[in-house]
Amino acid sequence: MSKPAAALPVSGTVQQEPVQARARVKTRNKDFKQSDLAGYLFISPWLIGFLLFGLIPLLMSLWLAFTDYDILSPTTNFVGLDNFERMFFQDARYGRSVAATFRYVFASVPLRLAFALGVAILLNTKRRGVYWYRAAYYVPSIIGGSVAVAVMWRQIFGREGVVNAVAQMLGMDPVNWFGNPDTALWTLILLAVWQFGSPMLIFLAGLRQIPAEMYESASIDGATAWNKFLSITLPLLTPIIFFNLIMQTIGSFKVFTQAFIVTGGAPLDSTLFYSLYLYNRGFANFQMGYAAAMAWVMLLVIAVLTAVSFKLSSYWVFYETDVR
Amino acid sequence: MQNVQALPAKNVQQDKRKKQIRDGLIYHLLVGLVGLLMLYPILWLVSSSLKPADEIWTSVYSLVPSTFRFENYVNGWRGFGGISFLTFYKNSFFYTTVATIFTVTSSLVVAYGFARIKFRGKKIWFTVMLLTLMLPDQVLIIPQYIVFSQLDWINTFLPLLIPRLGGSVFFIFMIIQFIRGIPIDLDEAAMIDGANQFGVFYSVILPQLKPAFITAAIFSFYWTWDDFFGPLIYLTDPNLYTVSIALRNFSDSTSVTDWGAVFAMLTLSLVPVFLLFIFFQRYLVEGIATTGLKG
Amino acid sequence: MYSRKLRFISLLLVTMLFLALGSSALAQDAPLELQMTWWGSQNRHDRTIAVIEMYEAANPDIDIVYEFSNFTDYWPLVQTKAAGNQLPCIMQQDYQYLAEWANRGLLYPLDPFFTDGIIDISNVDQSILDSGSIDGQVYGLSLGTNSPSMILDVDAFEAAGIELPPLDWTYADFEAIATQLHDELGIWAISYGMDDVQMWRGVYISRGEWIFNDEGTALGYEDDQPFVDYLNMIRRLQESGAIASGEEQVEASANGHENSPIVTSGEAMRYQWSNQVVSIFSAAGEDRHFRLWPLPRTEGGASANYLKPSMFLSVPSQCENPEEAAAFLDFFTNSLEANEVLFAERGVPISTAVQDHLRPMLDTVGAETFAFIATVAEDASPNPPPEPQGWSDISANVYGPEFAEPIRYGLLTPEDGVVILREQADAILAQNE
Repeated sequence: MSKPAAALPVSGTVQQEPVQARARVKTRNKDFKQSDLAGYLFISPWLIGFLLFGLIPLLMSLWLAFTDYDILSPTTNFVGLDNFERMFFQDARYGRSVAATFRYVFASVPLRLAFALGVAILLNTKRRGVYWYRAAYYVPSIIGGSVAVAVMWRQIFGREGVVNAVAQMLGMDPVNWFGNPDTALWTLILLAVWQFGSPMLIFLAGLRQIPAEMYESASIDGATAWNKFLSITLPLLTPIIFFNLIMQTIGSFKVFTQAFIVTGGAPLDSTLFYSLYLYNRGFANFQMGYAAAMAWVMLLVIAVLTAVSFKLSSYWVFYETDVR
Repeated sequence: MQNVQALPAKNVQQDKRKKQIRDGLIYHLLVGLVGLLMLYPILWLVSSSLKPADEIWTSVYSLVPSTFRFENYVNGWRGFGGISFLTFYKNSFFYTTVATIFTVTSSLVVAYGFARIKFRGKKIWFTVMLLTLMLPDQVLIIPQYIVFSQLDWINTFLPLLIPRLGGSVFFIFMIIQFIRGIPIDLDEAAMIDGANQFGVFYSVILPQLKPAFITAAIFSFYWTWDDFFGPLIYLTDPNLYTVSIALRNFSDSTSVTDWGAVFAMLTLSLVPVFLLFIFFQRYLVEGIATTGLKG
Repeated sequence: MYSRKLRFISLLLVTMLFLALGSSALAQDAPLELQMTWWGSQNRHDRTIAVIEMYEAANPDIDIVYEFSNFTDYWPLVQTKAAGNQLPCIMQQDYQYLAEWANRGLLYPLDPFFTDGIIDISNVDQSILDSGSIDGQVYGLSLGTNSPSMILDVDAFEAAGIELPPLDWTYADFEAIATQLHDELGIWAISYGMDDVQMWRGVYISRGEWIFNDEGTALGYEDDQPFVDYLNMIRRLQESGAIASGEEQVEASANGHENSPIVTSGEAMRYQWSNQVVSIFSAAGEDRHFRLWPLPRTEGGASANYLKPSMFLSVPSQCENPEEAAAFLDFFTNSLEANEVLFAERGVPISTAVQDHLRPMLDTVGAETFAFIATVAEDASPNPPPEPQGWSDISANVYGPEFAEPIRYGLLTPEDGVVILREQADAILAQNE
């Protein structure tokens, strides 16, 4: 995607007084103290909340990563890098959980986002009945992580479930979706795609924010629908696409509930997501120190990936504030 | 989007109308069919809530119960030991409403600070904020519990509500992205007119954030409604239990589970979230009309 | 040490921050407030709450504050409470975790309450008390007696023209019967569960051995061959279709007991702990005929069954009123009135007086369970010692994922599997030395 705004006929007005605008920004930069104060005032709710409730648990968990903390024992010992050594060199299941998680992230995030964006565009219309469509597409996302969802998904992909019924109608052999290590993960990926409502709604809100005038003036200039999509919708939506990409990636790395309630990590650890494994280690096997170590390794991995995404974002994400 | 434009030649107009009808048909066929596919599991859920227990397992993809068993709802609503779902609903509404107001309000304020104000340390704090999102929650449960038990906040809604005053990183970041999509000219115009940052936030940015604000409110409501781990850990008195905990307390892997009641109560628990969505999405759509920006 | 320091530091930080905010945290202690927590589903919650109210009515000076959850949520919940020093005075405990909790000093030994007479144990068999004891002290009062069982679908046996096996059936009998059931009926003889960790225990208990040594520092048997033979027998049955394949087992074991294949006539036998059969019997309905049978055993060996407590009530050492908690335990165990409400839902009550009182009122399932426990008791093997520390690690991270599951999927032979099992289990147990 190129830097689109400048090429747009509609943004012509925006570019009228660039010199003055830059001058204004400079004058604002001078009185640093006042804007510092305003900035901290605005972010103070989060900052205070973080210092009061976030920081201590965070530091405690970091410290625990270097201990043999087991929750129940009265004593906890510092064990240095033992947990990390064990994770990387001795724990076969750890490798499998990393593999399952990466496969899940790289399959579910693009699928979910593409589906969400496509549907959001389809539903961003004033056609009759669109209210109901929107509700229909969003409802799957509100049933959440209840145990009944697990039952439902198991039944739908079960031996006699509807998916296999359709497969048989199309002349295919029924598949044992949850029993086969190659397909079990896909049932969870499909569950994530099916519950695509939150990125979809965010896309929809983003589409709503694009001023209608832009499309109108583009229409007058004779732009086709596809042209308008490429030159207006996509560029103006990039901040939201970027947001969804980052958040969905982080969320997918941390995915827990689906595997916890639907598959429990089976079969053959093919759905043993990282968070599920560390939860089991921490709570079921009394190895919270080890779990904390796992958690901080995950934080590092996500942080690196996120940092790279932010770096790369300057090439394709377009912010109104960047124009001047 | 259809733009009906008056064109002089009559047959062109007719062709256009025909094309519109055809497009509309294709649209409804496609979107409607996929929509039904999306809805199928939900219909399955609702029909299971009306089925006799054994039928949930045997007639797997039939959506019509052989007999309608409304007892599932009666048995479920009864709750546990005299504490009915009425109590759980009250608690859930209280928790969800307050938490949503706290979260969304704070997130709006904080997001403005990060998106529009230049201040020293902004990048660092923004990075720290994102980092807090990356640590799996499972390892924070115990440290957080220790902190809140030291404060003697166990068995109250305080550990669940007070931290919400800090906003939610997800919404803060989301609203930041929305604000960054808003042209900065209006800010500057207002500044020139003598408005300070608070004035700009309140009278320029806030009105344009309606879609983002409503999206955040819908999510926050639903995520809080669905949240069970926090309430499970911090609320000990069953009179304070939320719907999400009550739902989980129905099914147990080591003893008898009344699946009919589970499905019935799950179906009921979807109603408030669904109604809220239906109600709010009107505003989501209206958003477009009020976005009166000059280009 | 570190943990205390940790708590202290966090306390200090939090106090400082909140003094600044002017928030005051005053602890209010109601002296006769007892907290209780258990896991279960609606049925158990209702019954337990009714008994609590009964007790409060009889003891107006006691207020029992209760909290309940399902089994899955229960353990992270109580562990978190333990970490925050917020454990209740009465907690339901599970056999697999009792040692982990007792060894860490989190539970009061109950013996003083027996000698004081606060808990009346005159109608309770010593072996039942022993089942809750660790290093000679009782840390959990059993709530019901339990044993692993095979549910036999009598109608399926009849349809296949097979007589019910003798009570002391052997693994060879099992293989013959399973093959015959499958051949005659075309359904699974038993869908899954025959490579459960309980079968590992069973093979060695039947030989008079135990899977761990007395110190809990290594496996307790030398000869892997009996287990290899057993698993090869299971593999043969899997290959012939009498037992479900690895893939099919995932589906057969999903979605709760109510949906198990024996309920839908997809299998003729099922392995299940005896206190958990109610859901299966009631889901199958009145017109089906199920019996409970002991597990098969080694040729000429002892019973693979033993009597295990289904669950316990324990008194955590963080409790400030252990005597009052013990008094409630006594009520729960011995009150005929209370047990009429509880109605053996947690397993066959341990007091013989209560058993006799309930027997005439039992329904089909209850009668079958009571009879089964009585049958097992006749030649039950002695209760093995509680599993050593690290057991949850072995069962969760070694036995299933590195051993039983690959064998089930045909990716590993039992011969190679037992080597891995021994090597990895010993490595974990070596930490107990």
